[in-house]
Amino acid sequence: MITFQNVTKTYKGSTVALKDCSVEIDKGEFVFLVGPSGSGKTTFIRLLLREESPDSGRIWEAGKEIGNLPKWRIPYLRRNIGCVFQDFRLLPNKTVFENVAFALEVIGRPKHVIASQVPQVLDLVGLTKKRNNLPGELSGGEQQRVAVARAFVNRPLILLADEPTGNLDPTTSLGIMRLLDRINRTGTTVIIATHDAGMVNQMRRRVIELDRGILIRDQAHGVYDLDGETQAAGAGSPTGALVEQFPTAAPEGEVSGTGATPNASDPNVSDQTMARP
Amino acid sequence: MALSAAYVSREAATNLWRNRLMTAAAVLTVAVSLALVGSALLLKQGASKATHLWQNGVQTIVWVQPAAGPAQTDAIQAQLRQSPYVKVCDYKSQAYDYNEAKIVLPPDELAATAQEQYPASFRCVLNDPSQAPAVYQAFHGKPGVFDVKYPGQAIKTMQGVIRVLQWVFLTVAVVLLLSASVLILNTIRMAIFARRREVSVMKLVGATNWFIRLPFMAEGLVQGLLGAGVAVLVVLALYWGIGLNQTNAAASTNNIITQMSLSGWEVFGTCLLVSIVGVGVGVIGSAFAVRRFLDV
Repeated sequence: MITFQNVTKTYKGSTVALKDCSVEIDKGEFVFLVGPSGSGKTTFIRLLLREESPDSGRIWEAGKEIGNLPKWRIPYLRRNIGCVFQDFRLLPNKTVFENVAFALEVIGRPKHVIASQVPQVLDLVGLTKKRNNLPGELSGGEQQRVAVARAFVNRPLILLADEPTGNLDPTTSLGIMRLLDRINRTGTTVIIATHDAGMVNQMRRRVIELDRGILIRDQAHGVYDLDGETQAAGAGSPTGALVEQFPTAAPEGEVSGTGATPNASDPNVSDQTMARP
Repeated sequence: MALSAAYVSREAATNLWRNRLMTAAAVLTVAVSLALVGSALLLKQGASKATHLWQNGVQTIVWVQPAAGPAQTDAIQAQLRQSPYVKVCDYKSQAYDYNEAKIVLPPDELAATAQEQYPASFRCVLNDPSQAPAVYQAFHGKPGVFDVKYPGQAIKTMQGVIRVLQWVFLTVAVVLLLSASVLILNTIRMAIFARRREVSVMKLVGATNWFIRLPFMAEGLVQGLLGAGVAVLVVLALYWGIGLNQTNAAASTNNIITQMSLSGWEVFGTCLLVSIVGVGVGVIGSAFAVRRFLDV
């Protein structure tokens, strides 16, 4: 579905955003992209959206090479990619329904398609009752659900999320993750760039870690960072079992409780690093 | 991709209404400049028509020596008839000229002359008034010819003045049109800025470039067209208001307005040109804004 082959991207002023990055992501995978700020996660996402093109190396997406895609083809590429951001990017003067319908309108979908697709996807994200509310009348989590609905309404092959839970509290974040997981189960490839260690550690999905533009880890069923892994490994297979059933089961309070454990471990980790010198 | 006219016009109309103050300013500037262009064109056409009439109205006069006999006069007449430049000549006798002099000259000067001293003349209308110098070359100094007179200098001066006026009109109009397109550009820029969130979402979900651009360009086009509409009204008001539509009995009257009168087709052509220029200004202004400020 997605292939990076020796991709290098350097911004002006010779800031290296990605260096010699090679990675392959199959159809239907659920991938976390982790790493500190400035590690190249957002560049990774922007390359996939073709908002940037690589300096060297090649990128394939859905069977097509997109590095040298002509400019007029880019919109058609983006119709196969849904995208969710930390700041939601909803239109404040349109209702929930209109915000989602807008994504179909501007790619020229006929009215009857909009009339059937939008209620469907609003039902999926659980906002049928709020379809006539404005984004300003919704909570942060609800707004992000609208954004997910807008990204998914055209049934894209790939769903990208850049810090989707960055502005949300753990409980709400869990709801969003659950939603993204459910979308992944329909066969959509989901890639999430995140700082949310708790979420990554709970979900135990594939983790790709970047550091200053270099891919330093690609791990199936991975955790947020390797320091944290020793702790997570201590929990052993029971955690894995919990994660397996997590989308359907697990009352929210319980799961966010386990999510708090790796979060709490983070200060310890940074304490250690600070103590070392 | 279905890029429907309904969508484009709905979006453009929404934008225009949201930005109505700037729209009004842009439309009025376009209207003023195009009204100037239109009236300049109207006056230019009228002036060239009047010039044509004046040129046709003037005569080239071949004066015959007072002492020349009838044989020489006949020879001159024959030569004039063969001349390719001359359309028709009218012979005026010495008596005719003397009678003209009686009207013009004061009595004491008239008394000092006799009818025999006045030259007879051929008053000629040329095929092309601008060829008068050639007629002068051909007949000046011929036996029996006293002098050849034509009002070339006066016409040249008049044409020069009209030409200068046309350039002034044109320059002012072009400057105004430039400012009008800059104003439209700015209006569209503000519209783009007001809708930058929508535009970024559209780009994100894969709207094509033309789908994003067209409503803005349509907005510029509408502004140009509205301005042109007002300008056309001004031109028509000028046409009927000062009576340029009067029938073409122009040559006989001395009224300069009737001499400059234009046919309906000429006015229609002027209005059409004004509209085309208006649309052009709107489209060019918005195209620049879209290219420069809408990064798609």
